[in-house]
Amino acid sequence: MSEDVKKIDSIIARYEKNEESLLAVLQDLQREFNYVPEEGIVRLSKAMDVPLSKIYAMGTFYKALSLTPRGKHVIKVCMGTACHLKGAGLMVEAIERDLKIKCGETTKDMKFTLETVNCVGACAMAPVVVVGDDYHGHISPSKVTDTIKKYGQ
Amino acid sequence: MNTVEFIINGKKVSAVRDECIMKIAKENGIHIDGLCYSPDLETAGGSCRLCLVEVHEKGKMRVVTSCNYPVRANIEVKTDTPFIKKLKRSVIELLMARAPESAAIREIAAREGITETRFKHIDANQKMKNCIACGLCAQVCSEVVGVSAISMVNRGFEKTSGTPFKKMSSVCIGCGACAYICPTNAIEMKETKSSRIIWGREFAMQKCSECGVHYIPIAQVTWIVETTGKERKFFDKCPDCR
Amino acid sequence: MSLLRSSQDLIKYREKLSAEVVKDIPSVLVCFGTGCFANGSGGVAENFKEEIKKRGLKVNVNIGMKTTGCHGYCANGPLVVIKPKDILYLKVKPDDVPEIIEKSIVGNETIERLVYKDVNTKEKIAEYHEIPFYKHQKRIALEKIGLVDPASIEDYIISGGYAALAKALTMKPDAIIAEIDKSGLRGRGGGGFPAGRKWRSCVEAPGDVRYVICNGDEGDPGAFMDRSVMEGDPHTVIEGMIIGAIAIGSHKGYIYVRDEYPLAVKNLQRAIDAARASGLLGENILGSGFSFDLKISRGGGAFVCGESSALMRSVGGDIGEPRAKYIRSVEKGLYDKPTVLNNVETWANVPVIIEKGADWYASLGTKGSKGTKVFSLVGKVNNTGLIEVPMGITLRSLIFDIGGGILNNKKFKAVQTGGPSGGCIPESLLDMQVDFDSLSEAGSMMGSGGMIVMDEESCMVDVAKYFTNFLVEESCGKCTPCRDGLPQMLEILTRITEGKGKEGDIELLEDICETLSWGALCGLGSSAPNPVLSTLKHFKHEYEAHIKDKKCPAGVCKTLITYHIDKDKCTGCTLCAKRCPQKCISGEKKQLHVIDESKCIKCGICKDVCKFNAVMID
Repeated sequence: MSEDVKKIDSIIARYEKNEESLLAVLQDLQREFNYVPEEGIVRLSKAMDVPLSKIYAMGTFYKALSLTPRGKHVIKVCMGTACHLKGAGLMVEAIERDLKIKCGETTKDMKFTLETVNCVGACAMAPVVVVGDDYHGHISPSKVTDTIKKYGQ
Repeated sequence: MNTVEFIINGKKVSAVRDECIMKIAKENGIHIDGLCYSPDLETAGGSCRLCLVEVHEKGKMRVVTSCNYPVRANIEVKTDTPFIKKLKRSVIELLMARAPESAAIREIAAREGITETRFKHIDANQKMKNCIACGLCAQVCSEVVGVSAISMVNRGFEKTSGTPFKKMSSVCIGCGACAYICPTNAIEMKETKSSRIIWGREFAMQKCSECGVHYIPIAQVTWIVETTGKERKFFDKCPDCR
Repeated sequence: MSLLRSSQDLIKYREKLSAEVVKDIPSVLVCFGTGCFANGSGGVAENFKEEIKKRGLKVNVNIGMKTTGCHGYCANGPLVVIKPKDILYLKVKPDDVPEIIEKSIVGNETIERLVYKDVNTKEKIAEYHEIPFYKHQKRIALEKIGLVDPASIEDYIISGGYAALAKALTMKPDAIIAEIDKSGLRGRGGGGFPAGRKWRSCVEAPGDVRYVICNGDEGDPGAFMDRSVMEGDPHTVIEGMIIGAIAIGSHKGYIYVRDEYPLAVKNLQRAIDAARASGLLGENILGSGFSFDLKISRGGGAFVCGESSALMRSVGGDIGEPRAKYIRSVEKGLYDKPTVLNNVETWANVPVIIEKGADWYASLGTKGSKGTKVFSLVGKVNNTGLIEVPMGITLRSLIFDIGGGILNNKKFKAVQTGGPSGGCIPESLLDMQVDFDSLSEAGSMMGSGGMIVMDEESCMVDVAKYFTNFLVEESCGKCTPCRDGLPQMLEILTRITEGKGKEGDIELLEDICETLSWGALCGLGSSAPNPVLSTLKHFKHEYEAHIKDKKCPAGVCKTLITYHIDKDKCTGCTLCAKRCPQKCISGEKKQLHVIDESKCIKCGICKDVCKFNAVMID
């Protein structure tokens, strides 16, 4: 058994065999692998005795789940209303320009994935960009360029 | 059974409580358009919004989908008011913009005297150009066939039906129920002399020992034999020759 | 923690814990809300711990270190409160810690540079409750937040926690519902449905199994009220839900929390475990014979899951698609069983109503909207943060007294409430009372409590486009008006903001809005046109300026604006030219710089880096 399969099975084993557990397992897989691997969905389907098509549908429906591998650093530009008013769109454009990717994509070297999120609930620090677990508040187009550069080193 | 009386387009009718308006309308000779409803599927309906009607109750008016609104005593249903026609027109035009090539949608539009849509076609970048994401295919696959080979994937504008990971499904039996039930003929099913291709997978067909017609996927025979306990021999002949 | 087998046990335990708390000894509260934490409150708390330990040997001062939930004044984090004097220090840095300990804990001094300074009067105020931001608030749902340690059930019990539960256990279920009914509590999640009536409908629905659910899937952009409650005071939510369960006879409940709120999940889980271990949750609660247990269900990032039937499908392990049936979830909810679903803030109001009584609660607020409401006040306002105010306060007081007015002395334009289902309220309605009905009349709604202030530099067409885009991304895709109508609206709004709007576009927008309002399947779809409708109602002239004059009056819409450098302000420092990604700014050192408009991509970097505010937008 490969390491990944072991990890997948141990995550599934944490939960009751119950449809209520599906989303939680998918989220834990996402956290472990930074995306939900196909193998994970297939094994979850077998373990929980739920059709593969149903779990796959969940994987494509929920925004917190990604079915494609993501970069080492996931950059989330907050698109909450407060951030939007304070120019979040300019941050997305700046990062897209610097990393030469579109929003939702991952750089070829697998270092960065750029995403937008609806609201991280840190509106008082708008505009906010979250890299991994780090919140960067009161950011600006020039600051965001410098910040991302630091993670790339 | 609890029978209730109510009014539809000015006519007093009676029906079993909780039956849907669309069914009772049909029984009373009133046609209501709809693409996403099937009386045989529990979860069907409520998606295309072509069957919107007005329901007047206790001085209040609501717009509801007749395919799943349960009838109650003393309601008044109106299916063809100018307001309903206006709403329906927008829904039709939205569907036309989504699936410009769909004959089924054009037909409904023509009946309403609509030939053009005011909306721009936005390409959803999906393989099935005519899919209106009604979900009937996935519902029939899980509720009636019982294999759940396909499901409704993605969300919003990109919602469509498909197999997991866009790959060939190992549980699909090639029965074609999804293609038959699809109201807009969006699901492609190709038949050759001895095989059928659907959802990217080729299924060998059982040949009738009498007339020689290839009439049912062998995978489907196996599925029926396994789930119902029917004898495989039963399927040697096609229904016409049995 | 100790296992409590009766209400008597709880009272004794509280007395015991209270006796252990030594009064009048200074304590330090460090805010650990998301805003403060991101601004570095973790380092501040660490330094306090270390410094106290270090000095603990020399100085005999006993300090209770608590990492509390959000104090709300997020604009000025990290916040530190020194008790018992209630001094509030703002923007505290880890390096400030030794000085704070020296002067304000060991000594009796206030550090002037760390206290609040009024932007207008320049007056310095040290005491927490005297600061305008707090002075005009009335805290009920947020009462314990920032004061109790969310990780400590003991703390919660000392502050009077679970007394309402003990009281509810002595009441008849019907009497609990009657009390909630009489209090006038309306659902704080958006629609404002009377909570008591909802509970009663659930009890009256046939069936043996019933569920209670807490909606913590706070999806409105610009809102973080529920996040703060779940993070900062999880036990109040749990206590409210247990009381609800007693009232409707439920034995199982779920808290549906956004997975984007990891701290809320952690704190709630810890609180559930502690309550269970203390005999306040699970089998035979406080020896009463009543059993009820709670499970956390993590959401997956879908705004539509705020809709009740979609949320219930998601809890059951499915995609969050609303149900098309015309059956209410109080009758057929989770697993088709009668279910009461209320949001976090609604549940947080329950214990205090039971404890202090319906009459007390009903004495607050207005005729149709009782009690208080929590808002997250954000956007172009000086004091952003989390606030709780009595219903009926005017928008003006909320924005100008508590919020301290508009940032940088700009002109107020609108305030957006109700999230993507709400609308924008113009200046002419600023003296309007804040309550469920007034907001609906103004074409907006209460929603869950996001309040986003916009100034003259906010373009209302852009705002409408922003919300429509949000909804396009969040539509589940089940019904035609929402799935296909919203992208068409976005298409039209986009062309208007790009100066390609046509005669008839406004009418076409209105037509799609009508189709959505009347023809969409769920509440998300039918309220989706509100941002467009309310901006069309109050700011039609801005739409017309974009369509007819090809101008964006607020200077926001990119295709309609140009950047240039003010010749009087430019010092020729060359910074903008160096940072310009297009290399389209030219000029010699100490000479006026010029932007080549044909190459400019309007990225905003020159304006951002210019220290002399010389870059202008037309």
